[in-house]
Amino acid sequence: MEKLKACFDFSDLPRLDLTIAGLVLSALLVFPIFPHSSYAMSTVIQFFMFALYGMGWNTIGGYGGQVDLGLAQYLGIGAYTTAVSMIRWNTPFWVSMPIGVVLAIIWCFVVGYSVFRLKGHYFAIATIAMSLVLKDVFEVWKFVGASRGLEIPSTRFTSPDFLHLVFTNDTYYYCLILAFFVIGLLYINWFRKSRLGFQLRSIKDNEEVARSLGINVQWAKLKTYAVAVTFVSAVGSFHACYVKNIEPEDTMSLDLSILIALMAMLGGAGSLWGPIIGAGILIPLKSYLKEWLGARAGLVGIDVVIYGAIIMFISAVEPRGVWGIVQRVRRRKRA
Amino acid sequence: MEIFAGSMVAGLLIGLLFALIALGLTIIFGMMDIVNFAHGEFLMLGMYTALLTSQATGLDPLLTLPVAGAVGYLLGIACYYGFVKFLLRGPMVAQLLGTFGLMLLLRNLALLFFGSEDRTIHSGILVNRAFDLGMGVVVPATKLAGAVLAVVAFAVVWLLMHRTRTGKAMVATALNRQGARYMGISTERMNGLAWGIGGATVMIAGALLVNFWSVTPYVGLLFTMIAFAIVALGGFGSIPGAFFAGLIVGLITEIPGFWDFFTYLTGSRWMAGVSMTPFKYTCVYLAYFLIMLLRPRGLFGWKN
Repeated sequence: MEKLKACFDFSDLPRLDLTIAGLVLSALLVFPIFPHSSYAMSTVIQFFMFALYGMGWNTIGGYGGQVDLGLAQYLGIGAYTTAVSMIRWNTPFWVSMPIGVVLAIIWCFVVGYSVFRLKGHYFAIATIAMSLVLKDVFEVWKFVGASRGLEIPSTRFTSPDFLHLVFTNDTYYYCLILAFFVIGLLYINWFRKSRLGFQLRSIKDNEEVARSLGINVQWAKLKTYAVAVTFVSAVGSFHACYVKNIEPEDTMSLDLSILIALMAMLGGAGSLWGPIIGAGILIPLKSYLKEWLGARAGLVGIDVVIYGAIIMFISAVEPRGVWGIVQRVRRRKRA
Repeated sequence: MEIFAGSMVAGLLIGLLFALIALGLTIIFGMMDIVNFAHGEFLMLGMYTALLTSQATGLDPLLTLPVAGAVGYLLGIACYYGFVKFLLRGPMVAQLLGTFGLMLLLRNLALLFFGSEDRTIHSGILVNRAFDLGMGVVVPATKLAGAVLAVVAFAVVWLLMHRTRTGKAMVATALNRQGARYMGISTERMNGLAWGIGGATVMIAGALLVNFWSVTPYVGLLFTMIAFAIVALGGFGSIPGAFFAGLIVGLITEIPGFWDFFTYLTGSRWMAGVSMTPFKYTCVYLAYFLIMLLRPRGLFGWKN
């Protein structure tokens, strides 16, 4: 009960933040009522998904300072668990999603137990290596469709199927991912004030000091990793139902892992709003660039060129992201 | 036995080239503790440089090596002064993601200008020639020349680093940046030089590689990961380490051949049922992972 109250307690944040957040959230709530293109709809759904991935990364990478660049492997585990069990055994989404989360957590303990002994670059590249190994396995594993991937036959279910999440109208998906998003936001709001959240921040600042204060560093990192993985894997299951066609290349690739980290990094790692701001900037930009410059003007790859340039600019000029700029402005005002 | 010897020779030859690819990465890492994700993209650009120069001028692909080296040197220097210099001030996350941004930029610029189709070199004195080494081992001339020239390039860089004044200054900077600055070494210039040499070696490696490897804008990532594995195995920042680790990783990529050999040797039906070919590079990633866990310093590493 205490925990639940803490989830809804935003009182330590400035009122301006809360007003803006409230306005944005209410705008998103009424968005489906107004006329919109299906393209805009899918962009907003993408935004929610990536905001959730970013929030997951933010727990371990932002608050904990452990730069994980292999989170996409858990996305793949979630997506594949849901897709395989739906195709083979007609398992409802609400059953396969928790199973996927459990599998992802087991795998994250296997990976995490070994990689959390490493630090800095070594840690980051070890997570990449592990996720590439898993991807290569999925590329040849016949049971999960090898490199051609899986396709969920949507004709098997009648359209508003709330058990299997098969809808022809994207509005249903929208409402569902919005609910996920709000739950995730409330959870992170609790997490950042929890014991684990404070332990993590002290680990980020100085691991030796944290250890000498009696924090079980390894266990704290593992627990946080499990939290991050839960976010990514649950949304991965949703991804499978929403996209209905999954391949190793677009669920587990390195680009995706980095994109996830980038959401949090661009917005501001280690802050509540960071991943949301990051996803809010990057996802519309990405789909806009892809649609207009890539597809219309026939310049294949120009979208990612601009994208890469933005990443380079942000990391060279303001590595703390948009939120870092906001805070600097605020501090100057106060002084 | 033939298959064993064949795999062994092929692995060692490609390993020498891998070592040259990883050389630049290890120099850069040793100097400034930065992991360059764009390394494979430099290689890809080197391959394109060689291919396009030889197509445009009609020169033999081997003669394009100096062009590739010069372009790589300039590109490395430009990257350092235009971008990496600013990156070094930021936290580690920014460095990782920043060079990743550089990788996306270079890869997609290549896609924009060169298109996505596979390209190969069809002409030249080396193409379609092979040497018979006996025991049924036939080595294509392209691979042999690549390996030999890789060794030469390696030796040149090693001499530059250990026999010239500038090279010694670079080694000093890598060992102790603060101390080097006290001795009057411009560490900033040394960083730029390290990027220049790194770019030049990897582009030369690309020009050698393009003789037997088709090039697309997406070819880079695989080699980035291979180079990471070599650098990790040899020890971050160690030049001799990169050489020997390159050979080992070359042998690791020939695991499918060895697997066939042992299948034949033991007559195991289980082993015959498993195909290792799709896992050629998975073994490299796995090896990287294991090295990181068992010996993070690598074989010859001096940085913790």
